[in-house]
Order: sequence, then structure tokens, then C-alpha cells
Amino acid sequence: MKKEKDFDINNCYTISGKLALPYTYFAGRTGSTFITHIRDNKKIMGVRCNHCNKVFIPPRQTCEKCLSMISDNWVELENQGEILNYTVVRYDDNHLPRKAPFILAMIKLGKADTPVIHIVEGISINDVKEGLKVKAVFAEKTTNTILDIDHFEPV
Amino acid sequence: MTKYFGVAIDDIFNSMAERFRPEGAADVDVKVGYDIREFGKRKLVISNRKMSLEKTDDLSDCNAVIKTDERTFVGVTVGKIETMEAIIALKFRVKGDQGVLALLPRLFLKLSTQEKDVKQEQELLVLKKVISVKQKFATGPVMGKFLKGLKEEKVLAIKCPECGRLQSPPREVCAICRVKNTEWVEVGPEGELRMLEYCYYASPDPLTGETRETPYGAIGVLLDKCKDEEVFWHLLNPAHLDRVKMGIVLGEKVIKGTRLRPVWSENRTGSINDIKYFEIAE
Repeated sequence: MKKEKDFDINNCYTISGKLALPYTYFAGRTGSTFITHIRDNKKIMGVRCNHCNKVFIPPRQTCEKCLSMISDNWVELENQGEILNYTVVRYDDNHLPRKAPFILAMIKLGKADTPVIHIVEGISINDVKEGLKVKAVFAEKTTNTILDIDHFEPV
Repeated sequence: MTKYFGVAIDDIFNSMAERFRPEGAADVDVKVGYDIREFGKRKLVISNRKMSLEKTDDLSDCNAVIKTDERTFVGVTVGKIETMEAIIALKFRVKGDQGVLALLPRLFLKLSTQEKDVKQEQELLVLKKVISVKQKFATGPVMGKFLKGLKEEKVLAIKCPECGRLQSPPREVCAICRVKNTEWVEVGPEGELRMLEYCYYASPDPLTGETRETPYGAIGVLLDKCKDEEVFWHLLNPAHLDRVKMGIVLGEKVIKGTRLRPVWSENRTGSINDIKYFEIAE
């Protein structure tokens, strides 16, 4: 192995680039119903599998356990729930919804069997804990995304 | 009660007596079991032009048992799901005499779903986004020297010590002779058009994140002092796209291509964009 540098590093430098990735995301029938309910009625909806007796949120077309079609069985969930687990995002990136640091938590809403992941505000990152009761705060301006729930805050 | 396709499963069973056609049931003597998941079991008995339906768990004496789930059963009954498709998808099964499937439509009038067919148009959401990712490309010593040359309005090529071919943009080794390239030669910057591709689909430029206007011309220029296939790839001034001619050498026959010269950017930073594009030299 050669150890000494056998080339002129004066000619080595970096060039900045910017990669743009255009994409189109289609929410589908079930996903669209979910978002439009949040936007228009301020209601968070899940779907129930009557066979497995599970309530899923975000809603999906088929039950992940028994694979039966469940997209018609809409149930309304409460707008509040408790934090099952959380993380603190400590870096900034332009795809992130908030400036760091902010809290992302898994929130179990009422009778739902699966948690939703969302931003928690109104509490310091040192005070957040599992089991904390939080409620949804809806966005004033719609973006037609899950961010129509702006964030969750402690009850 | 959950409704599928606007119909509850109870509506189907409760309306069976009304929908029964005794004229279709002449000479029919059959017991049909329904084993419907999420709902339960029913036994339909047809004999002497009469029908009876009972809720039971014992379907052992039936000629045929239809085994399915609630949604598929409603879908097949109201005609929203093809029976054959449901059978292929293993969502609808008949155990015993398969003939009952052909028999049932003769025995019952269709369930009227007129008012229930009015379905609300649903709003479907589509999200269009552009993700922007910052990146850095390391030049290395060889490409770095070439790009620094562009900053000074020079096009540099690297020469293979064995076969003597020139490469621009340069490579550290000659991939044919497998030896390290050492000698640098300044070429061009004017040259002759050897290859032109019309591009109608532009992917985003990884340096700027922007997508070029289409169509644009990707060109191979044979810079002065280069020969054969030693072409330099860049862009053509879009305004000159239809005014240029490609040169070619076919044995004895030589067709000269259009003379091109580079247009240098005003703010050169040592990147390939220091040449904006090539344009007609005359």
C-alpha cells in the first residue's frame, strides 16, 4: 500500500448540487375520505374490522390480519388520546414540518387499536412523557394532508 | 348494521319470502346452506313450490353450502361483484352441488336497489410535490484540474501514455490500456459537431435542481486537436437546434459538421456549467 499522497490535492474540491425529485402522491379513496373528514368536519375517522374487532387509523382498505375489505366500516374516533411513545427530532431539514427540536409522538386515539404519529406542541421536550393525554388542534388553513391536524397539545 | 354497496345483509334475507317465485320452483326440492362469516348461518329449504328460511348452526343435511363473507355475499347478490371473480379470489365457495348457483336466480326476483344506487361522488386527493435534496460532489484531482481549466476558459484533455488517445472530461486511467493517464493537453475550444440528440424529456439537473426546457440538443463536439471518437459532450444553443449539421467519416467519405464554439458563463466557478452551451461559430 502506498501511503504518501501521489497526487496534487490542490485540484480537489467539491461542487454543490441540488437534486429535485418531483412526485405525485395519490391518497386513494380511503385516504381521501380520511383527510376530507378532518378538513371539513374536524373529525378523525378510523376503520373497523368486524371480524378481528380492531380499529385501524390511519384507515386502510383491507384488514392486515384477515385481509377482508374494511374500507366501508368507518368509525369516528375521539379527537384526543394518549402518548404511547415519542421521539424528539433534533435536526433541521427542509422536508421536516417544524424547526428542530420538536416532538413526534405515537398517539392512541380513544378506541383505536393503532396509533397515529403526529407533532406534539405546547409542552417542553423535557416534560413530555408516555401516557400524557393530548388533543388534536386542527389547522386553520387546509393543505389537504395529514397536517390539516396542525398538531396535538396536552389536554 | 353495516351496509355494503348500500345494502344491509338483513335486507337480503328478510326480503327472500317476497322475492320468491313459486313458478320457478316447480320440481325443485333442495336445501341450501348459507355460511356467512361475520353474520352467521342460514338454511334455505325449497320443496313443493314453497320456501322456508331458518337460522341454524346445523347445515349438514344441505345439498350445497355457500361459504363466503358478508361483503362478498351482498356484492354478488346485488350484482356489484362477479360471482366467478369472487370464486377465483377464494372469497365465495360452494360445497356440494354446484348446480344451485344456476338455480337460485330462477327462484328469486332480483333485489331492488334503485334508490340505493345513488352514490355520492367522492373527492379524491392528489398531492404534487418537489423534494429538494442538497448534495455535494467531490471532484477528485483529475476532474478537479479539468474543471479549474474551464474556469480559465480552457478545455483540458488527458492523454494515455500508451495509445495516445485523449479523454475529455478526463479519466484517471485509460480503460483500454489499463494504465494511469499522466499528460495533459489543451484542446479546442472550438470544434466540429459530430453528434446531435434531440431530447424531449428532461430530468432534473443534479447541479441546479431545475429541469431544462425541451426540446434541447445534447451534442458531441470533436474539439480541435482531437480525433475519431474523442468527442466532448455538452449542450447546444437551443436557438441553433435546427441550423446545424452533423459531421461523419465513412471510410473515404468525409462530411464536415458545423463549426461550433463554446459560450462561456460570466461567473465561472469551476463546474461543467462554466460553458453555457456551444453555438455556431461562423
